[in-house]
Amino acid sequence: MAVSGTPSPSPFVTLVSSDGFEFHVRRSAACVSATIRRMLDLQSNFSEAQTGICHLENISGIVLEKVVEYFYFNEKYRNSEGVPDMDIPSELCLELLMAADYLIT
Amino acid sequence: MLAKGRGGKIRAPRRGLTKDDVDFDSIWTTLSTAFLEIHGKNASKLSFEELFRGAYKLVLKKKQDLLYDRVVQLEESWLRDHVRPRILSLITPTMTVGSLEQTPGAQSNERRIAGERFIRAITDAFADHQLSMGMITDVLMYMDRVNSQDQRRPSIFATAMALFRAQVLRTPLTDDPRFDVLSLLESVILDMIKMERNGEVIDRPLVRACCYMLEGLYENFTEDESTKLYLTSFEPQFLDMSRRFYADEGRALLAAADASTFCTHARRRLVEEGERCQQTISSITDVKIKHVVEKELIATHIRDVIDMEGTGVKSMLDNDKISDLANVFDLLARVDHTKVALKQAVQKRVIELGAEINKAASVISDAPPPPRTAPRPAADGKAAPEKTLSQQTQAAITWVEQILALKGKFDRVWVEAFQRDAVMEKALEISFQDFINANDRSPEYLSLFLDEYLKRGGRDKTDAEVDALLDHGILLLQYLANKDLFETYYKKHMAKRLLMKKSVSREMERQMLSKMKMKIGSQFTQKLEGLIRDTELSDNLSTQYKEYVDRLGDPDPKRIDLDCRVLTTTVWPFETLFRTDQDDESRRECKFPAPVERIRQRFQKFYLDKHTGRKLTWMPSLGDADLRATFTVNGKTRRYEINVSTYGMVILMLFNDLAPGESLTFDQIAAETNIPRSDLVRNLQSLSLVSKWKMLKKDPMSKDIKLSDKFHFNEDFSSQFLKIKVSVVAGGANRIENSEERRATQKRTDDERGHVIEAAIVRIMKSRKTLSHSQLMSETLQQLSARFLPDVNMIKKKIEALIDREYLERGPDPAKPSYQYLA
Repeated sequence: MAVSGTPSPSPFVTLVSSDGFEFHVRRSAACVSATIRRMLDLQSNFSEAQTGICHLENISGIVLEKVVEYFYFNEKYRNSEGVPDMDIPSELCLELLMAADYLIT
Repeated sequence: MLAKGRGGKIRAPRRGLTKDDVDFDSIWTTLSTAFLEIHGKNASKLSFEELFRGAYKLVLKKKQDLLYDRVVQLEESWLRDHVRPRILSLITPTMTVGSLEQTPGAQSNERRIAGERFIRAITDAFADHQLSMGMITDVLMYMDRVNSQDQRRPSIFATAMALFRAQVLRTPLTDDPRFDVLSLLESVILDMIKMERNGEVIDRPLVRACCYMLEGLYENFTEDESTKLYLTSFEPQFLDMSRRFYADEGRALLAAADASTFCTHARRRLVEEGERCQQTISSITDVKIKHVVEKELIATHIRDVIDMEGTGVKSMLDNDKISDLANVFDLLARVDHTKVALKQAVQKRVIELGAEINKAASVISDAPPPPRTAPRPAADGKAAPEKTLSQQTQAAITWVEQILALKGKFDRVWVEAFQRDAVMEKALEISFQDFINANDRSPEYLSLFLDEYLKRGGRDKTDAEVDALLDHGILLLQYLANKDLFETYYKKHMAKRLLMKKSVSREMERQMLSKMKMKIGSQFTQKLEGLIRDTELSDNLSTQYKEYVDRLGDPDPKRIDLDCRVLTTTVWPFETLFRTDQDDESRRECKFPAPVERIRQRFQKFYLDKHTGRKLTWMPSLGDADLRATFTVNGKTRRYEINVSTYGMVILMLFNDLAPGESLTFDQIAAETNIPRSDLVRNLQSLSLVSKWKMLKKDPMSKDIKLSDKFHFNEDFSSQFLKIKVSVVAGGANRIENSEERRATQKRTDDERGHVIEAAIVRIMKSRKTLSHSQLMSETLQQLSARFLPDVNMIKKKIEALIDREYLERGPDPAKPSYQYLA
């Protein structure tokens, strides 16, 4: 479901963490997450799709930063081989896993 | 789901959320309100994240089953209480009465509008339902994920679609459970299709949307391809209705329309149904509906159409309706790859036309032949029988030309209408064979035809045209069953062409033979090639002879040039070149005038010196001679160069020795020359009765030649030409045989065949040693069929003959007749 293909919406969306950090992310990168992709689906037209702002109430800013980093990382290396390892601080591991499960990433 | 950089699936940690106290009812209230909003198309006020998070939490709390059930209940009541009434409200009484009966006028239009409104409502409702359920499924994605991992329940989307089928489409309309919304929907669609078939315009996208819906719905949760509502419910009804429609249409059309219209119509129907599958219903029906049309409209009626009086295949063929024939062929090829009906119709027509050609030819050739022995000199000196005979020859040539024209026509039909189909090619071939062989003179006719175009001179056709005609002639040769008979005639005609120097060129003859060789094999042309070989050898021989004479240094100023053809007895068809009924006479050697006799002897000596042990027989009846003659009237001398037959030369030279005014009787001439009587009669006729070259005077001046007639040299002869060619009555040119000659030819052919059959039997038995009767028969038939159609009785007789001569003996068991080869 390539949202970027439709003409009107902005190519960037805003992700807001539970503690109020805002991340401006390229729409195509954010859509790595199946949850966010559906959230922004213009056909369904939920409020997030209209405003382009997603409040993610159960993800903290620190974790969301790492998540966004992963979005870009995934988008960049999606179809390539010999991908370098992404640096994950071990203290964030569990929270990241939970976020990944929630975001269906 | 996208794989992580390091791979591996992440399981949701179930711990850690316990600190939030999850209240199912409050979350469900939020969700259910939101779902109703979604059905009401008010999603833009909702936060996906909030709903998703709610459902997520419930699933983490292992409440997914409860959630699932609640959603199902919600959807069920939504469909039952909101969607169903809206659709039921659109059903009008006109729609429900007699779904397929034609209702007249305004009522039908009203019904049509109501019907369209009804199915539009259903398709719209379905589209809305799909869209809303898509969104709800998105919200419940986490639940579906867990569900599908456990494989316990179908996805909520599939369940919701099934609910639409159960709650809306399967709503019974009457007490009869079979009569529900779905069946009404289908009957409306079928009605619309029927209208379109009758030439009205319908809303195709609407029907397409309906079919699309039926394709998207299944009878149960397994969602097998084969349980699509489209396949289980709609398509059988559609096919059944079409079957009835086309059965009716076929009958009506057959009664009302001509063959050409029928075929055009049927073709158009096929195209229409194809279009309908692409644009209105579903392409998966394409093959099936075409099959229905093929069966009901084409297969059932095509034979009647082909045989239709006045407009069927017969008249199409007669009027060169190529496109109609192409239509018929195309339709028939769809339903019957053996194309029996068309094959029979075409064959029948070919044979009819062929029979007409045969009849036309036989009318001319069976006309009673005028008495050949009593010719009346016509005013222009041309004898009547000859004219009739050449007419018959012309009939033979016309016969071949007509067949070629017929073949050309059917070849064109075959290429342009029958798509070069192998079955039809075979059928045409067989029909041509049949009627050509139905005419027992066809071998002779064909050979005459070829002779006509291989002969030198005076034809108003270009070389290329002649070439093409000859090629076509050879095509017909393939159809002939009695190729040996053709060989006999061709040999005779070819021999005459070569001996009388009538052939266009030897090159041409050779080409012709090589063409035949390609078509029917080298065995056939062997003897014919012998003719050409002999002719060439004779050319060399004549040259050598001239050199030989030059070396002799004969100073004779009146030397006579001699050009001989030495022919191998076994190769040349002597029987046909000389009348066999005059055997006794022709065996007597002709007496040549002294100067000629000297030359003859010299050549004989020359030849026998070269080739010892051979015997030369002279055949003067086939030669000709150039003479220089002087006629003196009143002291004025006129000189002419005259070309006469050898016999003519012999006769004329007799008069050299006579004093002016003296005459010879027929008897005297016959005695002096030993020329066979009939040849003598013909030569004398030509010399004394034809005004153009009347060198002899006959007394009395009657048209017949009598034994007592007197002949004397015509000194008054004059001509405007210096060179005169005297042709002999009924001589030289190849012509059709009279019935007597035909009998002779037939007899010779039978004898010949006898030998060939015996040879074949011996060949087979020599290799097989022992063979049952039936096997021997079939092998013999098979070996011989390339040359002619052997007569079974003749084969039996030949086997008997071979037993008598102790080539074979009968097998020991009389119950199982068999033969053994005796070395």
